[in-house]
Amino acid sequence: MRLFDTDTFREILDSITRNRSRSFLTGFGVFWGVFMLMLLTGGSQGLKEILNNNFEGFAQNTCIIYPGSTTKPYKGFSKGRYWSLEYADVDRIKNLVPEAETVTPTVALWGRSISRDDNSYSGTLKGVRADYANIETPKMMYGRFLNDADIAQERKVCVLGKRVYSSLFPEGGDPCGKRVLVDGTYYSVVGVDWKESGAIQINGSPADMVTVPITQLRKAYNFGNTIHLLCFTAKEGYTMSDLTPRVRQIISRAHYIDPTDEEAMFLLNTQLIFGIVDNLFKGINFLVWLIGLGTLLAGVIGVSNIMMVSVKERTIEIGIRRAIGATPTQILGQIMSESVILTLVAGMLGIVFSVLILAGVELGMTQDGILKAAFQVPFWTAFLAAALLTVLGVMAGLMPASRAMAIKPVDAMRDE
Amino acid sequence: MALIELKDVNKTYQGAQPLHVLKGINLNIEKGEFVSIMGASGSGKSTLLNILGILDNYDTGTYYLDGTLIKDLSEKQAAAYRNQMIGFIFQSFNLIGFKTAVENVELPLYYQGVSRHKRRELAMEYLDKMGLTDWAGHFPNEMSGGQKQRVAIARALITSPRIILADEPTGALDSKTSVEVMNLLSKLNREDGMTIIVVTHESGVANQANRIIHIKDGIIGKIEENDKHDAWGAELIK
Repeated sequence: MRLFDTDTFREILDSITRNRSRSFLTGFGVFWGVFMLMLLTGGSQGLKEILNNNFEGFAQNTCIIYPGSTTKPYKGFSKGRYWSLEYADVDRIKNLVPEAETVTPTVALWGRSISRDDNSYSGTLKGVRADYANIETPKMMYGRFLNDADIAQERKVCVLGKRVYSSLFPEGGDPCGKRVLVDGTYYSVVGVDWKESGAIQINGSPADMVTVPITQLRKAYNFGNTIHLLCFTAKEGYTMSDLTPRVRQIISRAHYIDPTDEEAMFLLNTQLIFGIVDNLFKGINFLVWLIGLGTLLAGVIGVSNIMMVSVKERTIEIGIRRAIGATPTQILGQIMSESVILTLVAGMLGIVFSVLILAGVELGMTQDGILKAAFQVPFWTAFLAAALLTVLGVMAGLMPASRAMAIKPVDAMRDE
Repeated sequence: MALIELKDVNKTYQGAQPLHVLKGINLNIEKGEFVSIMGASGSGKSTLLNILGILDNYDTGTYYLDGTLIKDLSEKQAAAYRNQMIGFIFQSFNLIGFKTAVENVELPLYYQGVSRHKRRELAMEYLDKMGLTDWAGHFPNEMSGGQKQRVAIARALITSPRIILADEPTGALDSKTSVEVMNLLSKLNREDGMTIIVVTHESGVANQANRIIHIKDGIIGKIEENDKHDAWGAELIK
């Protein structure tokens, strides 16, 4: 039997297009199901991106250590003692915790006056190493971030935050190579970091920051061995929560702090925060698919139902076809193909419409030509939905088709 | 050998109360004959027609159609035989409503796998024979009963079948159109030598045939030779 040639196809198309209202009713359920599924997936995707923007550029497995005052006496030291992290702590973690990937120190000075010609701004001066980019990924608008040579040669270069840049360079344009004055020292600008403040901030908003080589700050402000924060990331495949107790042990021992003294040393584990958001979206995704698939399934059952009625209604037509020589297989093929084509066309329309609406939403979310959050359905999700539709179309057609197969040619004559 | 040979054909409808509808039918119909089968409703004439048309099975006996034993066929075989050997004409025309006249006529050829172009050509030829060329693009609900029945006849003829089986072909037509349709059938019989079997309960219609077979309670009662077409009730249609 010819299963698919243009002739069979036209025969099927004829019977779909010449029974418009029936076809419309049949297809609408599937259309609506796919439309809702795609719209919900796209919507939750966009929502997730909006939320993720808050954590943008932040390594998800980062831990930040900062000192507090001791609350327990230990090894002859009384409680209430202040202590500082030092450069040696970087090497201690690097050497003793092989699972740690990037370990980098930072120092910061608040409320510094930053000026250029007549413009000035009060911001934060932050000293980092080049590998700090692994902790908080910069979003460079102009130029580059600090590099290893800047650090090694203690260059007087800086990366400006967004607000610092717009205050010092109100005329706009590429500021690289120009110089700004911070606390009496000139730094030449090598880049502008466009990152906005998010949910996690280290030493305040990145927009108010002037980032310079830590080696330069150390010398200029006589920090000696002191560092203010220590940031480190875990290698892939390791959980930060497994590392933190050992890090606490190592640092505590070096600074004569009771290892059980939780308040003497703060360990901020971003993985825990990301975990909460992740779980939230796992829940939302689950709901989206549950609702979407439910709607889709209801649509498919609707198709099956209407096809069932239509087979009943078409008893005479099918009887005639059988009487003039159609085999049961041909009838089965016809009903199944009708079902598959109807679900596919309706489903594709659903995908197209939802994509159009999502595109409209994206248009509304775009600011300054930069998309804030992508609401679009991923290609493979749409592809999967289309594949799913074909399967569902076959399944929806199965019952009505077997019912149609059972129609005997004599049924055509038994109509009155 | 006759075109149709029925030997001791029995048929019982199984049910709560088994119904013995055909009680040993013996019948030969030669090629080129015009036969009508008459009987009251419930006499078994429709069942006989269904068996002749391979639409239904029989329990015992034998049925040879053009030398082929028609018994215990698979659905696929039955469909193929129906398609190639038999042309049906029904009381209620049984045209497919969403197909035009010409599309209805070409449908049997579609199931034979004939190409679209050739199908259309042949269907137009047969519609022309029925005088319906101008109506080829019309849907059944735009045509009169007589036109619809002529479309159905064209559909029955298009596969050049061995026999035409007509089940009450004039049952839904007025008397004038009935005469036209019956004249058309007898012309087909006379000029093209088509074997035609008409099931009817109208004696006027039956009178057009050359042989009238009366069925009563599942057995053949009487076979009338009707060369002069003057059987009882003939005046009703004239």
